[in-house]
Amino acid sequence: MKKVYICNDTITGIFSAIYDAWKESRDKEAGIELRGKLDTQLFCEYTEVVEEERKAAAVEKLIQKHLGYNTYWDIYHALLSEHPKKAEAVFHVMQTARTVGNSKKVMDHLSNPDVALVFELSRKAANEAHQFMEFIRFRELEHGILFSEITPKNRILTCIGDHFTDRFPLEDWMVYDKTHQEFLVHCAKHPWILVSGECLNREEAEKISKAEAEFERLWKGFFQSISIKERENPICQRTHLPIHFRQDMTEFC
Amino acid sequence: MAEKIQVQMSMYDKLQILSDAAKYDVACTSSGVDRKGDGTGMGNCRASGLCHSFSADGRCICLLKILFTNECIYDCKYCINRSSNDVVRTSFTPEEVCTLTMEFYRRNYIEGLFLSSGILKSPNYTMELIYATLYRLRKVCNFQGYIHVKAIPGTDAELLGRVGFLADRMSVNLELPTAEGLRLLAPHKNRKNILAPMRLIQNRMVENKQEIVLYKNAPRFVPAGQSTQMIVGATPETDYQILNVAESLYQKFGLKRVFYSAFVAVNEDTALPARTGEGPPLLREHRLYQADWLLRYYRFEARELLDEEHPNFNIFLDPKCNWALKHLEQFPVEVNRADYNMLLRVPGIGVKSAQRIVKARKMGNLKFDDLKKMGVVLKRALYFLTCGGRMMYHTRLDEDYITRNLLNTKEKLPDSVSGMTYRQLSLFDDMNYTDSQTAQIL
Ligand code: SF4
Repeated sequence: MKKVYICNDTITGIFSAIYDAWKESRDKEAGIELRGKLDTQLFCEYTEVVEEERKAAAVEKLIQKHLGYNTYWDIYHALLSEHPKKAEAVFHVMQTARTVGNSKKVMDHLSNPDVALVFELSRKAANEAHQFMEFIRFRELEHGILFSEITPKNRILTCIGDHFTDRFPLEDWMVYDKTHQEFLVHCAKHPWILVSGECLNREEAEKISKAEAEFERLWKGFFQSISIKERENPICQRTHLPIHFRQDMTEFC
Repeated sequence: MAEKIQVQMSMYDKLQILSDAAKYDVACTSSGVDRKGDGTGMGNCRASGLCHSFSADGRCICLLKILFTNECIYDCKYCINRSSNDVVRTSFTPEEVCTLTMEFYRRNYIEGLFLSSGILKSPNYTMELIYATLYRLRKVCNFQGYIHVKAIPGTDAELLGRVGFLADRMSVNLELPTAEGLRLLAPHKNRKNILAPMRLIQNRMVENKQEIVLYKNAPRFVPAGQSTQMIVGATPETDYQILNVAESLYQKFGLKRVFYSAFVAVNEDTALPARTGEGPPLLREHRLYQADWLLRYYRFEARELLDEEHPNFNIFLDPKCNWALKHLEQFPVEVNRADYNMLLRVPGIGVKSAQRIVKARKMGNLKFDDLKKMGVVLKRALYFLTCGGRMMYHTRLDEDYITRNLLNTKEKLPDSVSGMTYRQLSLFDDMNYTDSQTAQIL
């Protein structure tokens, strides 16, 4: 009977599932399902995965070593998506890699549907991460903390952590992912961390610093005055800056 | 009176005036330099550049684009800030520019600063103020993001040298394509004065490269290179003249980019084209950018694309198709044998797909199906290619025939120009697009 592994939708959870599946079923047909996105079928044997950091670390190493860094990069980004079949597709890509000549080039086999799915999910997540590096807006709270709220489709927080840490090393800043209720937190002169399972204190998050309102006003004014009236073109503006992003951007609020 | 206004003006009003006056500068890019933060200040740079927002005209906002002052002793006819205009004048202080830059940057509104300026008292006087601003921004605020600064013609070499060590990119505006145009519309400027600082920046960059070879930690002089811009459509130059100017700027001055700015009428002046209600010549601007691209990446020369007899681009076809149609004797090209340069000249084949073709055909003969996967746009390319000696369809190598078919496939114009109406297109009739030329195509 086909074995299906059930895990949490986190990198650690999925890598733990892949660890188990790889150990027991790498030569067989097997599936991975995400808790909360379960798609139960008849004639399958379901097992609950025990999530462990150790397993996740081992799988990370396994992928990097045998499939190369570029493949790992694609796999990692694909797993940030919301697609219910992402974990299974990654597992299948790992299986496929054993059958191709150069397993580090497995992502070139785009005619394979699992490879194609991982590729597409990875591209979408990476693009979204890049867009957020550009479109994120911070507001200054009472104690000088820079705070941002975003509504991403993928769990992109970990992809933008290094960028903003390098950019604002001396600032305390925090990005709140409203879709997935996760926080990217940075304290001055420290590396960033990802925090989940916490709730946002709305009241605190609305307490902006004294100077904040004025800088927002200045920015909005600039945003208006920099546009050339004779060239106005809302379609072009929307292509480059989709409406979806605007809900969290100062100049559109 | 003017002094009084300046003292009382709020930061908000100053920003309104000094960004409004800077908006006609087209260069807004933060690309060309990769620099990590050093952990002691704020900011970094990415070679490919980031865009932080898009204004209502669809242009990217990546830099705080402002003038230091809109006071000006010159009287360039096309400029809103010319001395003869009665507009409210104001200036920032270096501290104000630094505060705005740092606070906007912290909120991730911008990638950095684009500082241009009218001329207050003299070029040197103004440039010293700009230097003081950049110095403060870099050394006191420890800002490590992107800075693009305008070099004002007529500034002392020594001062420009100092500024260049604080900026990532410097640009000197060519303003108008020819010396004659400049004489007409910018009576206080001349070609020699504009080219001198360009040359200086170029030479300083070359020297700096050698310094860096010797001392790895030597300070960098405009690491993202220099650019320029010229206004298109204010004076009667042809596309041919404009493109020739661009070409020599790339070749002789080592410029990174030449920007073209469709003329926007802000002043009434007998020396300027009359206001038509047609809006700026955006399609013409677009064709120039396409041709510019061909110069920089497709190994074309200006004189191949246009000549004295055909001095302007075809409004209906992009410059590359236009070239191919005039050189049908060089086609069709055999994909499996043609050299790289020739592949680049085939409409529908871009730099990436040409590279892929050269690589892939070593492994075996290519078919039309393979070309599609390599990103070749077959609906354009098919008239100009053979694969293994065969054309894709039974097509004729005939100018009128191909032109008709290409026009049917509809070029995808960028959103920035596709909003145009036919009325706007007809503007080109006045600009040397002779009736015969349009008649030929239609
Ligand atoms: S120098 Fe000419 S273009 Fe520059 S601000 Fe003065 S009037 Fe305008």
